[in-house]
Amino acid sequence: MSAHNHSIDQDQLVKEIQERRPEALNYLYDNYSGAIYGSILRIVQEEDIAKEVLQDAFMKFWDKIDQYDSSKGRFFTWMVNVTRNLAIDKLRSKELKKAQKTDDIGDYVNTRSEGATHQNIDGIGMQEAMQGLRDEERFVLEMVYFKGYTQSEIEKEFGIPLGTIKTRLRMALVTMRKILDVE
Amino acid sequence: MSSEEYISSGILESYVLDQLSGAERSEVEKKAREHPEVREEIVRIELSIEALAFGTAVAPPSDARDKIVSAVSSPETPVVSISRSKSESLSLKYAAAASVLIALASTITAFDYWSKWKSAEGRLSDLIAQNQQFADNYNTVNLQLNDIQDAVAIMNNSAFSRIVMNGTDNSPGALATIYWNENTQDVYLSIQELKELSENQQYQLWAIIDGKPVDAGVFDAGSSSLLVQMKSIGTGAAAFAVTIEPKGGSENPSLETMQVLGNV
Repeated sequence: MSAHNHSIDQDQLVKEIQERRPEALNYLYDNYSGAIYGSILRIVQEEDIAKEVLQDAFMKFWDKIDQYDSSKGRFFTWMVNVTRNLAIDKLRSKELKKAQKTDDIGDYVNTRSEGATHQNIDGIGMQEAMQGLRDEERFVLEMVYFKGYTQSEIEKEFGIPLGTIKTRLRMALVTMRKILDVE
Repeated sequence: MSSEEYISSGILESYVLDQLSGAERSEVEKKAREHPEVREEIVRIELSIEALAFGTAVAPPSDARDKIVSAVSSPETPVVSISRSKSESLSLKYAAAASVLIALASTITAFDYWSKWKSAEGRLSDLIAQNQQFADNYNTVNLQLNDIQDAVAIMNNSAFSRIVMNGTDNSPGALATIYWNENTQDVYLSIQELKELSENQQYQLWAIIDGKPVDAGVFDAGSSSLLVQMKSIGTGAAAFAVTIEPKGGSENPSLETMQVLGNV
């Protein structure tokens, strides 16, 4: 794929993690911590909490690797969903949720250009790509993907029917796919 | 449902983002096994999520790496062993084994109930959400129906005079109708055709009484109600007219903007 080139593929990485090879942990951290940390930070929004969640997430990637089922999807998909659930649980336990959800996502999308330079990152400005979406699609994508809302929460809080949320989410990702040139 | 329709419903995106109930998840997994195009679409979605995550990556603080790598790779806390006499340790072993078995069995049972409860809870909240949606739709329709019933009652009431206001030279296509009950002084307006105005303008209705214009209230063209109740006016109106005024209305009509006019 064009977005990032890893020198070992995800299946190989999973195998090495299952074999408990220390270099696999280093590799995992060096290549994926940025993408994972970004997902966490956008949900919990505080660096100290995000660091805790990052550690919990890597613990889980390592210790619960047997829960990953390759027939159901890619390793990264599993990691990012594990991560999102941890971040949301943390956020709920800190009861910070209501106060922070209303912040503008733009702030967090922007932070990538400052911090993430040592990792292998796609060159396209993400915020620019997000601007290519229609308002209602961007809204649903931000809520679900960047902010960790569930679809029924969006339905309840904003009165958008579940079916509509699903199709908008799809249109948003289809458009992002074109912009990001994912095969 | 064809694969194409299935894909375009957006359920696969929700699957990849882990936003489905257990039952829905199994359904997607079944579809993916049966239809390669569904499987391929899932991979495409996964790759775009991945591109999105890498495109929005944020490097963690540099002090996090060593801490996390050493925390993750440190072996689990070793179990402390206590030496005892042999017979005591044997019976303890049986007791321990039994308690482990009991704990295990109850954990499994608890987990089984927990997952059943979870999945029931998920289905219940879906149903509650659906139910809420139906109730909302019903209320909306009900309000619309009440509105229409009220309107029909007024239109059919012989105590109301019906005055058709036709478009003036300013707007030949415009059309609106007044229902006026001279006894109760109620005035209702029904808009058939009036153009949209800019934000800082509103329509104003005037009744002509004794040759003088009397304000009967302002309104917007976009009202969803069939009939709009206007201000009460006195008796003896000879005509009704609508002009365009600055938002909030004027004291005296801007006659040059008159849109519709009708004699009683």
